[in-house]
Amino acid sequence: MLIVKDIVKQYASHRALDHVSLEVKQGKIFGLLGPNGAGKTSLIRIITQITAPDSGEVIFNGERLNSNHISQIGYLPEERGLYKKMEIGEQVLYLAKLKGLHTSEATKRIKYWFEKLDMQGWWHKKVEDLSKGMQQKVQFVATVLHQPELIILDEPFSGFDPVNADIIKNEILELNRQGSTFIFSTHRMESVEELCDDIALINQSKKILDGSVDEIKSAYKNNTYWLEYEGNHHMQSNDTFEILSSEEARDRKIIKLKLNPQRNINEVLSGLLPVVNIHRLQEVIPSMNEIFIEKVKGQSHE
Amino acid sequence: MNKILLIIQREYLSRVKKKSFIVMTFLTPLLIAGIYGLIGYFSYKGIADSFDRIAVVNKNTTLDSKLSSNKNIAYTYLDENLEQAKQEIKSGKFDYILYLPEFNLDAPQGIEVFGSKQAGLSLSERISGDIENLIRTQKLKNSGISQTDLDKLKTDVSISVKKIAKEGKEEESSAGASMFIAFAAGILMFMFIMLYGVQVMRGIIEEKTSRIVEVMISSVKPFQLMMGKIIGIALVGLTQFMLWIVLTFAISTAAVSIFINKSDLKKMEQSSHVSAQMKKGAEISANTPGNPITDLQKSLSGLNIPKIIGVFIFFFLGGYLFYSALYAAIGSAVDSETETQQFMMPVMLPLLLGYALSLSVVNNDPYGSTAFWLSIIPFTSPIAMVVRIPYGVENWQLILSMVTLVLGFIATVWIASRIYRVGILMYGKKTTFKEMFKWFTYRN
Repeated sequence: MLIVKDIVKQYASHRALDHVSLEVKQGKIFGLLGPNGAGKTSLIRIITQITAPDSGEVIFNGERLNSNHISQIGYLPEERGLYKKMEIGEQVLYLAKLKGLHTSEATKRIKYWFEKLDMQGWWHKKVEDLSKGMQQKVQFVATVLHQPELIILDEPFSGFDPVNADIIKNEILELNRQGSTFIFSTHRMESVEELCDDIALINQSKKILDGSVDEIKSAYKNNTYWLEYEGNHHMQSNDTFEILSSEEARDRKIIKLKLNPQRNINEVLSGLLPVVNIHRLQEVIPSMNEIFIEKVKGQSHE
Repeated sequence: MNKILLIIQREYLSRVKKKSFIVMTFLTPLLIAGIYGLIGYFSYKGIADSFDRIAVVNKNTTLDSKLSSNKNIAYTYLDENLEQAKQEIKSGKFDYILYLPEFNLDAPQGIEVFGSKQAGLSLSERISGDIENLIRTQKLKNSGISQTDLDKLKTDVSISVKKIAKEGKEEESSAGASMFIAFAAGILMFMFIMLYGVQVMRGIIEEKTSRIVEVMISSVKPFQLMMGKIIGIALVGLTQFMLWIVLTFAISTAAVSIFINKSDLKKMEQSSHVSAQMKKGAEISANTPGNPITDLQKSLSGLNIPKIIGVFIFFFLGGYLFYSALYAAIGSAVDSETETQQFMMPVMLPLLLGYALSLSVVNNDPYGSTAFWLSIIPFTSPIAMVVRIPYGVENWQLILSMVTLVLGFIATVWIASRIYRVGILMYGKKTTFKEMFKWFTYRN
């Protein structure tokens, strides 16, 4: 749906994006990850046509990105706000009309969303009378109101209280089921694992990793397992595996082991099965957070 | 284009609907009319009010004629000596006693004024002026010029200033009215550009600090957002200006018809009647300045008011666009209003200079070369031109000035939009002029 091809963006002496390419597939939730200052926002500003790239191009639904696409993209920036003195309803209506909606249609949809998110009676309130969480709900509504095909959320959960974060998360999943594609930009990994299908990791203006979350995780697992058993047997490192840690909890032992190359976990099990009761065997899959830190650290130490 | 209209609409309505706008719009004409009314009332009252009755004790034999009463002083010659006259003061028949002793015409000495209260400076100046006149007349008479010759010497001259227009037709004009209009227009223009230019800047800073700008900028181009704001606020200014004209006109017309026609005109008749009685020669009543307001109205009719208003509106829009674009650039570059100081100076300076020079140099010499250049350079032309226009400006100069102003604001809008598009997305950085120049050179 969205293809970013070899984008370069230079600001005076600072190169914000250095030949970045990635692809966002239709109907997926795409995570754009990276530490602060990596170039995520610069990339988003190019996709939302706030700025233009120095070289490279962006393809949206098979067409080169142009101003007709503005109404098909919804953007919730990290730095977001509303007009303080304006009434909520009027304000959302204004933003919707700027995206090309007609007054009657926009009003209908605002009413629908206000009802859905428990915001009835907010129409004539002013922004300065709302709490921060309430404001964020309004901003979310304004972002999705024009039913964009692509919704870009920059650090969507920063500043949300857990209750509202959950409400918004469910709305995102529902919109996604209805066919909207999402781009999440964040440096907080927990939200990524839960929501994202695919990710791209950007660090120091370069893309250093991309792919589906599952693929990346399996690529980063390193034959490490948790093993929990009951029985009077002491395991020791041998030529099949290496014990990384071991602890005892009451009558159980919890072992973390790493297989040696070309070995199979079944070999370990077959040795154990006759002597102990196995309660748990689990492959250790690195969290996105660990992968992120490993990749970013590895790069900055190069 | 549609989006610009939406932005203009919001900027316009959100301001016009504010209470402060409504209050300002309706109070200002009242205030202006009130201030002019007060000035007129007091200056008129001041002259009419001061009236003193003076008893003259004359022991002088060198003077043939007597001091003549006028509208501020009534002289009464008494056949009494000074001591008796002093009794009269106590009875309250007179305010002061003027004692004229025998003196040498070349060096009069010993003239005294007595009163229960001390005579004010203006009164003593008036009395001495009257005596000086009397002595001058006496001296002329002594040197053999007859009274009839003296009367013949006195000629009243009233100048009617006429300007020859291009068509060779003479236009009645009044320097006073032109000056009044020029002054008012200059001040109004300065106020408008300042007030509304700063509003543009404030609006942009508000959008920046509330961070709405990021949301906005993903649906509209920065240029659209900036121009929408500038135009929307210009319309607010025009609305206010139009309402002011209408209201001021309505109020002053009402005021003129109420106050002038009834009380003041009656008073005028009375006072001129009285003075005519007091003084047999008709010179004073002929010279009495007419009612200043009716006078002004008469001379205003000699000016081309619609043209002045038209030119004012054009130069307001041009000057406002020129300066508000600069204000927009400043607003986009800072995070809060307190940071605007260093950038405001260079923008304010030419405007202030134009204002000061226009009201002094241009107003005194509306056809001079300073006036010409000030009204051509777009930094000062909005004020200089509206100051010049009541005196009449040649068409080619007017057109040249308009063209340079239009070119000027196209240039400032272009420069401002290049700074704005980068500036609005910059937070938490202290901006310098160097930085702004760098933004200017950024590609898209």
